[in-house]
Amino acid sequence: MGQTPVIEFSEVQLRIHQQQILTALNFVIQPGQFVALLGPNGAGKTSLLRLLQKEYQPSFGQIKLQGRPLSAFSQSELAAKVALVSQLSGPLFDLTVADVVLMGLIPHKALWQTNTEQDLQQLKHSLELVGLANKERHSFAHLSGGEQQRVLLARAVMQKPLLLLLDEPTNHLDLYYQHQVLRIAKALDITVIASIHDLNLASRYCDRLLLLNKGQLVADGTAEQVLTQQLLTEVFRIPCLIDQNPFGDCPRVSFGYKDNL
Amino acid sequence: MSKVLVAALPVPLRFLLATALLLLVCMLALNTGSVSIPFTGLFGFAALDEMQSTVLWQLRFPRLLLALLAGSGLALCGALLQNASRNPLADPYLFGIVSGAALGATIATIVLPEWQLLTPLFAFFGALLAVFLVLLIGARSRWQRLETLLLCGVAVSFMLSAITTTLLYLSEPFAANRVMFWLMGSLSQASLTHVALISPLVFITLLLGLLYRRQLDALVLTDESARSLGVKVQPLRLIILLLCAAVSAAIVACCGGIAFVGLMIPHLVRSLFGLSSVALLLGSVWLGALFLVAVDTLSRSLLPDQELPIGVVTSAIGSLFFLSMLFKYRRG
Repeated sequence: MGQTPVIEFSEVQLRIHQQQILTALNFVIQPGQFVALLGPNGAGKTSLLRLLQKEYQPSFGQIKLQGRPLSAFSQSELAAKVALVSQLSGPLFDLTVADVVLMGLIPHKALWQTNTEQDLQQLKHSLELVGLANKERHSFAHLSGGEQQRVLLARAVMQKPLLLLLDEPTNHLDLYYQHQVLRIAKALDITVIASIHDLNLASRYCDRLLLLNKGQLVADGTAEQVLTQQLLTEVFRIPCLIDQNPFGDCPRVSFGYKDNL
Repeated sequence: MSKVLVAALPVPLRFLLATALLLLVCMLALNTGSVSIPFTGLFGFAALDEMQSTVLWQLRFPRLLLALLAGSGLALCGALLQNASRNPLADPYLFGIVSGAALGATIATIVLPEWQLLTPLFAFFGALLAVFLVLLIGARSRWQRLETLLLCGVAVSFMLSAITTTLLYLSEPFAANRVMFWLMGSLSQASLTHVALISPLVFITLLLGLLYRRQLDALVLTDESARSLGVKVQPLRLIILLLCAAVSAAIVACCGGIAFVGLMIPHLVRSLFGLSSVALLLGSVWLGALFLVAVDTLSRSLLPDQELPIGVVTSAIGSLFFLSMLFKYRRG
């Protein structure tokens, strides 16, 4: 070890309008981990991501980014270290793919600095990485949902973050793109925290799973440790079965009621 | 057909073409009028008589400069407000600026006739009053949504218009007429003082817009996404709103109501020059100037020995443009 953790939560609580959203969170995320945030609606997944973007301030406790309190980061300092890919509603005015990806330079450029040859090379590289090579001049609004999500991923790559936050990145995507987006994120080889609804996607792609329920961290570990029948049935309130995913050595979760039993 | 032609031209060439057109229209504007000034005279190849030289330098030249500035300023504000609010219908006039200016002008003309020479000043403060009221309400709602501000603008507009209308109703018809004419918009009072008042505001707004080009692009997606890139969303919006308010208040105070330029030109620019902030802002400045100089020249020459109020012409063109846009969207 010896490395500074990317993220440290110590005794973090979040209250909004007298309502307890998150309670006593303690965990440490090491560089390079691909972490899934799991839990039912209202468990606090999105609130946790908002804490990391400083959209919310913890009511108690402290969050550290690379050993430094998050509260000491200015908004642009934070943007140079943490990138976010969230869901989009279609933009009103149509930008090109290049316009959107180049926004990733905002935290790294002074107002008067223009784009260099190197930036444009990086733009090409980022788009190749997400499988959208040579689409620079295409219109962003006319892309499919999956392609838009990948353009935003390319923008995040351009931002050169230390930590990538994915807020339900696979929502509204078909099966192919659900896997595609997570494969690309994993291939980036940086620290990723993704809130995901699909437990099997988390099991397949994430090194570590954090399971939240009613604002509390109820399990933290590998897929084998977290995805257990008793825990999931309790948290999601639906009977479930765990077996082995035939495509790889990770657990597979099946939910359902057996009516004809 | 025209779309194919435009698409075939690279963007810098489109700007060059627009510049050439702008120069041509400026020449026409200086040449046209009850006293004709030959093109050879404009370029200094032929001597102008005293009458021509007075008309050129005292009347047409300041008027041309004012048209250039007012057109580009209004279009620039429209483009900035539309992008910052993600609302394609945003326009400097939505914030009650014109109604405020109208109230100011009405007070100067009717209530305090001895202050009549200061009508533009009263109009300017009237416009600022309207923006101040809108911002006051916006601050109470903690800048949650820009839509709230736009709706406040509409409400403030109606409120101030009601006061203006009451004052006009109670006043003598002659004074009311003067206010009505002022509201229709005209560049006929143009002077270099006006130009000196408006030009720094327009230049500062353009410069800041260009410096913050990336941040403005980022605002077009969602607020959350812009913040995650380190953009200070609310302060940026407030600065844009204040600058646009100052620019449009100054323009309305000098020229009266010139509607639709701020709404229409940015839409044209998006289809002709592109959507990223640099193309949008520069394109709006170019096309706004071109449009207003052309319309002003037209409004001076349509009727013999008489001027049409420029606001009437822009409104007529603007409403047709609006309808055509509506049909275009419906066809998809």
